Amino acid sequence: MATPGPGEYFSIGSHVSCLTCLGQRLQGEVIAFDYQTKMLTLKCTPSSGKPNLSDVVLVNLAYVSDVDVITDCTGTPPPLASLNFNKLTNRARAEKEDKLSQAYAISAGVSPEGQQLFQTIHKTIKECKWQEKNIVVMDDVVITPPYRVDNCRGKEGSALGHVRKIVEKHLRDLESQKSVQRAQQTQKDSALSA
Amino acid sequence: MLSITSHQCITRWAVKTKSILLITTLLDLFSASQVAFSGVYANMRMVHILTSVVGTKCELNVKNGVIYEGVFKTYGPECDLVLDAAHRKSPEPSMGPRREDIVESIIFKSSDVVVVHFKDVDLNYAKKDNFTDSAVSARLNGEHKEKDLEPWDGGDQHASGSLESLDTDLSNGWDPDDMFKYNEETYGVKSTYDSSLSSYTVPLERDNSEEFLKREARAAQLAEEIEASAAYKARVALENDERSEEEKYTAVVRETHTLSREHKYIPPSQRNREPGLSWGTGRQNSPRLVQCNPGPPAPRAGPHDYNIPGVDQRIVNGGAHPWPSRCPSPSSRPPSRYQSGPTTSLPPRAATPTRPPFRPPSRPLRPPSHPSTHGSPAPLSTVPKHLSLEGPPRMSPKSQRTPRTHRVASCRGGGASGADFMSQGASVEVSTPVPARSSPSGGTWSSVVSGGELSHRPRSPRQNSMGGTASGPSLSSPQAGSVTADSVNMSTTVTSPTTASPAPIVAAIPLVEAKESRIQETRQNSPSSNKENMKPMESSPSINRPVSKGLPSIAPDHRKQIDNLKKFSVDFRLQPSSNPDPVFETTVTKPPRDSGEKPKEQPKDKNTDLTGPKVCSESPSSDEPVTAVAAAPAGSKPNTPSPSPSASALSAQPEQKRGPDVTSQGVQTSLPAAKSDKDDKEEKKDPVPESIKKSTLNPNAKEFNPRAFCTPPKPATTPTLPRPQGQPSPSIVVQQPPAMYGQTMCFPQMYPLTPVSPGVQVIPHMTVSQSKPYRPVPNMPQQRPDQHHPPGTSTMMHPATAAGPPIVAPSPAYSTQYFTCSPQQFASQPLVQQMPHYQSQAQHVFSPVLQGSARMITPPTHGQPSLVSSSTTQYGEQTHTMYAAYVESTTPSFFSAPIPQQYPHPSATLHPHPQHPQPSATPTGQAQQGAQHGGSHAAPSPVQHPQHQVAAAAAAAAAQALHLGNPPQQQMYTALAPTPPSMTPGPNPQSPQASFPSAQQAVYIHAPQVQHGYNPNHMAHVQQAHMQSGMVPAHHGTPSHPPVMLMATQPTAGPQPPLPQGTLNPIPVSSTTHFSYMTHPQGKASMFSPDAVSCTELNTLKPYSRQTLFDNTITFTKNCSFALVLFVLFQYHLISSSCRGVLASYN
Repeated sequence: MATPGPGEYFSIGSHVSCLTCLGQRLQGEVIAFDYQTKMLTLKCTPSSGKPNLSDVVLVNLAYVSDVDVITDCTGTPPPLASLNFNKLTNRARAEKEDKLSQAYAISAGVSPEGQQLFQTIHKTIKECKWQEKNIVVMDDVVITPPYRVDNCRGKEGSALGHVRKIVEKHLRDLESQKSVQRAQQTQKDSALSA
Repeated sequence: MLSITSHQCITRWAVKTKSILLITTLLDLFSASQVAFSGVYANMRMVHILTSVVGTKCELNVKNGVIYEGVFKTYGPECDLVLDAAHRKSPEPSMGPRREDIVESIIFKSSDVVVVHFKDVDLNYAKKDNFTDSAVSARLNGEHKEKDLEPWDGGDQHASGSLESLDTDLSNGWDPDDMFKYNEETYGVKSTYDSSLSSYTVPLERDNSEEFLKREARAAQLAEEIEASAAYKARVALENDERSEEEKYTAVVRETHTLSREHKYIPPSQRNREPGLSWGTGRQNSPRLVQCNPGPPAPRAGPHDYNIPGVDQRIVNGGAHPWPSRCPSPSSRPPSRYQSGPTTSLPPRAATPTRPPFRPPSRPLRPPSHPSTHGSPAPLSTVPKHLSLEGPPRMSPKSQRTPRTHRVASCRGGGASGADFMSQGASVEVSTPVPARSSPSGGTWSSVVSGGELSHRPRSPRQNSMGGTASGPSLSSPQAGSVTADSVNMSTTVTSPTTASPAPIVAAIPLVEAKESRIQETRQNSPSSNKENMKPMESSPSINRPVSKGLPSIAPDHRKQIDNLKKFSVDFRLQPSSNPDPVFETTVTKPPRDSGEKPKEQPKDKNTDLTGPKVCSESPSSDEPVTAVAAAPAGSKPNTPSPSPSASALSAQPEQKRGPDVTSQGVQTSLPAAKSDKDDKEEKKDPVPESIKKSTLNPNAKEFNPRAFCTPPKPATTPTLPRPQGQPSPSIVVQQPPAMYGQTMCFPQMYPLTPVSPGVQVIPHMTVSQSKPYRPVPNMPQQRPDQHHPPGTSTMMHPATAAGPPIVAPSPAYSTQYFTCSPQQFASQPLVQQMPHYQSQAQHVFSPVLQGSARMITPPTHGQPSLVSSSTTQYGEQTHTMYAAYVESTTPSFFSAPIPQQYPHPSATLHPHPQHPQPSATPTGQAQQGAQHGGSHAAPSPVQHPQHQVAAAAAAAAAQALHLGNPPQQQMYTALAPTPPSMTPGPNPQSPQASFPSAQQAVYIHAPQVQHGYNPNHMAHVQQAHMQSGMVPAHHGTPSHPPVMLMATQPTAGPQPPLPQGTLNPIPVSSTTHFSYMTHPQGKASMFSPDAVSCTELNTLKPYSRQTLFDNTITFTKNCSFALVLFVLFQYHLISSSCRGVLASYN
């Protein structure tokens, strides 16, 4: 399985591409490599396209083939900054809770669109919860399936208007995201086919 | 693989949890140090990146193709991965996991993992440096284009010059009126401000009524007084000092000197002041040192100095504690010295005066002064001329200069000690400069042209003090520097003469002369120095005023008295007390002593002065007999060439004492005689002296030390002799010296010296003791004792400060000196001398105790400082406090300083010799002078390292001797011992001088102490004992601790042994009795010696205090301080005691 690339070692900052045993093509900048465990960490272009974010891929070279060093970096790797562990642990806990919460909602039979909308609203307004299949925001606004802007009900006011804006934006983003996904899907397909 | 049971997950979870903890710790550790971690943990980058993605969602592809999605929790060393809330990703993309699909956490073995995909991760999320530029920029949202710079248009008004106007606008903010106006216009706020402050005060209604005029005059007077006060000036100087901190304290100022004869490194300032002369160099050196501390002060003082030299120096001191204290003390001391010194001292140096005239300019022209001093020394020690001419210049310049400077610097650096050193150094220098100056200042003291030197010396102290205070900043530092340098030079010159006289005797004489000359010079110098301080020549006026008060106003004594009373009523007190020490140690001390002693001595001195000529004649005539006395040193020297050092030292001491006395007495005429005597002595000594000079010249310090050590033993022997034998001391003395030797370490030298010294000493002592009453020969001896005491003190100080070697050397000198002194002291002088001593010594808290202790301490520096401090009120307070600290620091300096001073003193003493006899009354004066000399020596010592060492040793010995002597008996011993040291020093060019001076000084000190001890002992042996104990330790401690200790021990041992001997030897009845007391109380030689010293000191203090009201108050304070000091010193005593024990064993 293991297909040692051009070299046994990857220098930090080098751009490497490889093909996993699962047929997944990976390409990115080497940000860490552990020779003992054959684990290679790549920094890839973010899937969301946001400039300040990046995708990190941890690859087990034991299951990779076609390792190719596109560009080799001989420079000194950048210094490592100290990390705030409290922040990391808190993030881990929050992510876990979110996922569990989402799973709870899903288990309730909420549609994926509804779940996505819930997640989107939750990002902005923490005070939201599932009420059966309805999303209750701030106890004032209730969003009922199919979770469209028109489904937002509640006392007229700033809260309702605000929630409507969120929903509207969410749907709009969702459309664009779908288009992107489609495009990506097509790319993948093409890539796979290729 | 993928099907992991929940149980397993839990188990692994626990592991993972642990791993997290590990990771966190690891990361922390990584940053700090690389610890040997296993697996992935050893890969910092992997750890960093994996840790930075903790808490993010990820998709984990297992090798069988299944994808798990979860929150990345942590990882293990084998790169096992843990996902929280993980679920098997369903093929249906849109469907979220169901609640039941989610697993709490799953551990994936790295071998099962193919790819882990973390999407949209912010790698900077957990970075701690959230506020760095990179961190901030990394988190910026949106576009961040660099903005185009736009030219600023401030408008027409500000278009041009507005910014410049901001820079050039000198107005310090808004004018109050503008503010009022603005507020009124803008806010309608009306100010009720009334510039007349009618709400707070009432306008002065002027009228022409008599009452009003009186009040106005009174107010003006008060204002004038206040503004004329040193304190005021000092404060003003501080406030108005425009110099930067760097200038004041840090900058190394290199003034271009016209002359750099010495080649030695001369501080620029000093060089300028003293162009060219080797002495100048020496002076310069001291100046340097001074400058170091003073440097800043000098500038400050500079302005103030002109106004009030003393103030300025003080101010400067204020800047640097050392200086202030120094300055004050010097000033105070110097004045007293000057007062007393001028008349008496001047005459002696009259012969030397020729050169002294040069000195006046010296300060500004220190070089000249030095030359003059040199010249003066040579002239002074006409006999020594050969030697002096050759030896002095060489030796004195080098050794003195360098040592002094160094020491001075160190002293200065020490702060209080530095101050002490400075003062001492200053005093010394001053004294030296004085000669040259004397010519100018001589006018006032002119009568004392010869005396000029003496006067100069005193003045120098004064000047120092004055300059320090008056000449202030620039001068003070310069003065201090110059003065010190001058004094040093003088001392050096003197010493050089002495050294040149090298022949112990000759040297001693020269020293005496030098001392005298120094005194005179100092006195003269003081004016001149003041002038110099202010301006080379001009300074004299300002300085002269202060000095002149003492000097011009009347006889030196009067001057001193006046100065003391007027200027330093407080200081004066301090000075008196300090004076003893200073005198012994440094010329500075002289003033106090002079003041104290002078009053008493002055009459005597005056008488002597009257007789002065007589004395001169006598001295000349007596040369033979006195040679025994004054001559004693010389005679003894001749008698025992080898021992000559000790003998010379003794003689030198006596001479020095005499010199001081003479100078103080204003024995202008005597000076010639003294000179002649000196010449004779020198001639006699010449042979030996030359050798000595040579030795001293080159190896000064080293050689001296040995000798000094030798001398110390002598002192010890002498002490014993003096006390017991009193007069018989010779034989006894001899015995004691051995003891001293044993104690001191320098047996070889000691013995040689002792033998010689004994005879010489005996004579001197005898003569001295007798001399006091009888000015002729006896006076000489007495004077010698006095001188011895001072020297002893100085020497004592030196030893204490100095290291072991110095100590040893000092001790011998001390012993010799002490011996001589003791006899003399015991004889008639004791009371008289004691009184003077008490006054002078008592003045300084330390001094009293110190008389012994101070002396012990070598205090020259200490003593001087302390004295100075004591003399100056400030000192009293500051110094006392400072003392402990200073003591140590100063002591070293003292040691060094004392030695140099001693050297000078020796020369001075030489001059004095003739006079000394006359001054019998002066004995105290001599003692003072000796102290002064010691002080001067101390100051010089800094400059001259070699000498310093020697001097230090001598000083230490003297100090020890003093310590020993402090107890009356011990003092005697010490005094005796000092002389021997001087003897020993003699061999060494510088060291001899130093030793001589120190020895002499020590002797002086001892003598005073002894005398004091006699009275005091009776009065309060216990007290003295206490004091001594305290003092002694302090002395020991203060000086070079180890050396000091040794020295102290030696001295103590010497004294103690002597004491027993003394007890055995009933020679000096009074002394013996005292000794007996001392010894008995002390019981233990080593222990006792300190105690005894303290006792003596206490006694001396009491007498002094009694004598002088001021002194009393001062003494009290001093006592307090002394007590403290003593405590501090006590430890030293312990050490010293141990040393003593060793010494005792030797004995």
